Amino acid sequence: MTAHSDETKQLRPGLWETVNERYPGSMITKDDFVPLAPLRKPLSESRLTFVSSAGVQPKGTMPFDVGHPVGDYSFRRVPSTSNPSDLEIHQIKYPTHGAVNDLNVIFPIERWQELAAESVIGGLTPNFFSFIGYNMDSERLERTLAEDIAEAVVADGADVALLAPA
Amino acid sequence: MQRAIEHRGIPTVSVTVALDITEHSKPPRAVFVPFMMGHHFGVPYHRELQRQIILEALDHLVKAEWSGEVRFLPITWAQARREGKAIEEAAGRMT
Repeated sequence: MTAHSDETKQLRPGLWETVNERYPGSMITKDDFVPLAPLRKPLSESRLTFVSSAGVQPKGTMPFDVGHPVGDYSFRRVPSTSNPSDLEIHQIKYPTHGAVNDLNVIFPIERWQELAAESVIGGLTPNFFSFIGYNMDSERLERTLAEDIAEAVVADGADVALLAPA
Repeated sequence: MQRAIEHRGIPTVSVTVALDITEHSKPPRAVFVPFMMGHHFGVPYHRELQRQIILEALDHLVKAEWSGEVRFLPITWAQARREGKAIEEAAGRMT
């Protein structure tokens, strides 16, 4: 950690405390740091995957259950070749007005496609991975969804992963 | 989630808008942007900003030296919104 949380830098300081007060035990707190995995090859040769809690999914797939009180612990594969017009958002827990106009503000699939075409990165995994961030049982999240997505990321041949917790 | 992927030997970096949550959950590497929730890569149609945030995250993926290291970007939400508004106005004039 390079710095302690500076409240002046945040648009919503105290978010962790607020959520934890309303939904005790829903937030993940760790005391340790995981060892860093080393890059095995240059970025220009690495296949990248993207994992998002934005609730983005291909049109026609089963919508996330945004009304369930405990959350939805499933995930969707989003083909990395998708056009934004192929995708839609099922999520009610964060402001989506930017994403409605340009999905790239939360799910920058067109930027990924450009960076791969320019060989800034070696390529993209066949799929990106998406779920919804409203999951009130953090232990279940870690035991099921996190492991399921990690396995899917490995199966898709990812060399590096970028995540955006919406 | 990020820790589970890193545990499998795949280097990870996240882009976060909630620094306190990041500090509690301790992902291996993170880039903090002081933006509104749901707007991690900036504002609509601002391709350069979206790209810049991604490139910063990728650079952090390569250069971070210890687990838990957070990179702070010298960008403000007000600036991003101003630039985004200018882009939308310019596009509107062209149509």
